[in-house]
Amino acid sequence: MSAHVFEFSSMGCPCALHLETDDEELARRARAAVLAETDRLDRKYSHYRDDSLIARLCADAGKVVDVDEETANLLDFAAELHRQSGGLFDITAGRLTRLWDARAGRVPDAGEIAAALRVTGWHRVEWRRPRLRLPLRGMHLDLGGIVKEYAADRCAELCRAAGANAGVVDLGGDLALIGPHRDGTRWVVGIKAPRASGRAAARIDLPRGGLATSGDYERALIVDGRRYSHIVDPRSGRPVAGFASVSVVADTCLVAGAAATLAMLLGVERGGEYLSELGLPHLCVDGDGDVSGDIAN
Amino acid sequence: MSAAKRPSPSLTLLLAASAALGGQKSVRADETGSTQSVGYRFNVYDEDSFSGQPVIGSPERYHVDSQQLALNTGIGDRNTLTVDATHEVMSGSSPWYVVPGPDNKPIQVLSGATIRDHRSAVQAALTHDAGANDTTSVNASYSAERDYHAAAVGAEHATPLDPALTLAYGGSFSHDLIRPTDAELYDRIERAQKNTLSAFGGLTWVLNRSAVVESGVQINYQNGYLSDPYKLVTVGDDQLPDTRPDRRTEGAWLVRYRYAVTADAALHADTRVAMNSWGQHSLALEFSWYQRLGGDWQLVPGLRYYAQDSARFYAPFFAENADAYFSSDYRLGAFGAIAANLNVRKRFGHWELTAGAERYHSATSYALGSSGVPDPAVVSYTRIYAGLDFHFD
Repeated sequence: MSAHVFEFSSMGCPCALHLETDDEELARRARAAVLAETDRLDRKYSHYRDDSLIARLCADAGKVVDVDEETANLLDFAAELHRQSGGLFDITAGRLTRLWDARAGRVPDAGEIAAALRVTGWHRVEWRRPRLRLPLRGMHLDLGGIVKEYAADRCAELCRAAGANAGVVDLGGDLALIGPHRDGTRWVVGIKAPRASGRAAARIDLPRGGLATSGDYERALIVDGRRYSHIVDPRSGRPVAGFASVSVVADTCLVAGAAATLAMLLGVERGGEYLSELGLPHLCVDGDGDVSGDIAN
Repeated sequence: MSAAKRPSPSLTLLLAASAALGGQKSVRADETGSTQSVGYRFNVYDEDSFSGQPVIGSPERYHVDSQQLALNTGIGDRNTLTVDATHEVMSGSSPWYVVPGPDNKPIQVLSGATIRDHRSAVQAALTHDAGANDTTSVNASYSAERDYHAAAVGAEHATPLDPALTLAYGGSFSHDLIRPTDAELYDRIERAQKNTLSAFGGLTWVLNRSAVVESGVQINYQNGYLSDPYKLVTVGDDQLPDTRPDRRTEGAWLVRYRYAVTADAALHADTRVAMNSWGQHSLALEFSWYQRLGGDWQLVPGLRYYAQDSARFYAPFFAENADAYFSSDYRLGAFGAIAANLNVRKRFGHWELTAGAERYHSATSYALGSSGVPDPAVVSYTRIYAGLDFHFD
């Protein structure tokens, strides 16, 4: 029984496809499908590319645009998350996210934050499937928190459709299960410890669906020794002071990712309550490195 | 975490919101999916003739050929309109009255000449989806045949009480006008009307990803002319017009269970119990199995059982009667029925072909409780149909 590990880079992060199969042709097909799908979704939804669909939608701000079914489904999902989080989860916070991006290398001033806030707010967007209108120029959509997780699920589906039934898709730490090991045992995966690269905070076995981790360790801005999370509160314009990372296991990586992102946005106390109420296995690491959660369940 | 626990509301909302994006993308075996479509149906209904029984009059019973056109279309993003038009051609004799034969065994007298009549009907419904599974719908219908006209309106509303529980309620009103043919010739009433008011309420509970159960109650109230102007009743030596009370109240309770056995097969089980102010009780049980096969085929076999007991004022014939009401219409008697049906569907791109058959057999021996005197008029029938649908999406 051959274990194939195929490493590649996509969506701005290191990715891997783990497959167990004796069929070389199947492994080749699965690899090709995963590469093609991550590339497709990256081209379509990356908010770092000028030629992505997202970029074009933002350039068309003010006009009514008809979006395709896949985009419509993602926007519906984002709209629902916005509603469920009381406005915290907001895909129009792209301008704000860019301000606080690690690559900018500096803390933005109050004027810049105010300007970004003026063009932020999903409640301002006119969205009636399939018609989208971003009313303000400079409004910026950022589907981070949805797309990578969606891509992981899609890749897993494509691998299954190609005939694979044992493997895991890993897109920068967001995992989607293709199927358990051939011998029936579960895949054991490591959840990275935030702020201590290379070390795993926990090793868990993945029983189903997907595992997603939302955390500030890889993309945080560090200035003068202070760490600013890249997860920004769209109402205040400032990074959330909450968990350092949250990992959630759910039936799909998408749902796991949404739950993890929402828990990060809600801060330590409300985030913890939310995760308890949700009832999904989860792991939280707070600013002091303390670990909580019942992910082993 | 116990598997039997219902998921938290937040999780259910998340799962529902993400449903379109993958995971369980395949449509369940028994879902039709919301489609914009236009369809045509041809239906043949043929009652078994009275063979081998002593009767007076033509033994051929009812035969109905019907055609139906149905349209289902969206208006804007949140509204759906359905319009149905039906045209039926009916012929055959029907039970007229019953006379006691030797040993007091009932002998059915059928209407002599075969009637050839036609009926046209149209109904329309408009549904508005306010989002989050909250829907409101209004409907109206009109039906016309030579001696009978009926108009009805109704409305219903469905709203989620929590992510797994939906409440639905509604009501309808119908006004019917009857002008019996040959009224003077047969000394029938010239015209009469009847009104029906109906209300229902129900709850649908999503038990888990595979099972849904629905339970509801319905109340109907009718007043006006509720007798059958074409039927007579043997009372002593006379034949008197069918005479029923001028009002009737009915209550019914139904339970429906839907279970997705696999991604390609689903079971539907329905039961309905009812009682009315004329002293009747009834029980209906229905099972259907939805099976998806390869190559876009679907097979749906079904089985149905029905039983009722008789109205207080029913008898095949009466010796002498001091009571105000009397009827020998078999539909008010005690009987039961078993029916088996099969539907086959095949999809070709945008087109869908459907065909099916049903065999219904009734007998007084299947009645609820004791059947009393067997009524010769209980009907058995065969029905076959075929149709074509075109789906726009």
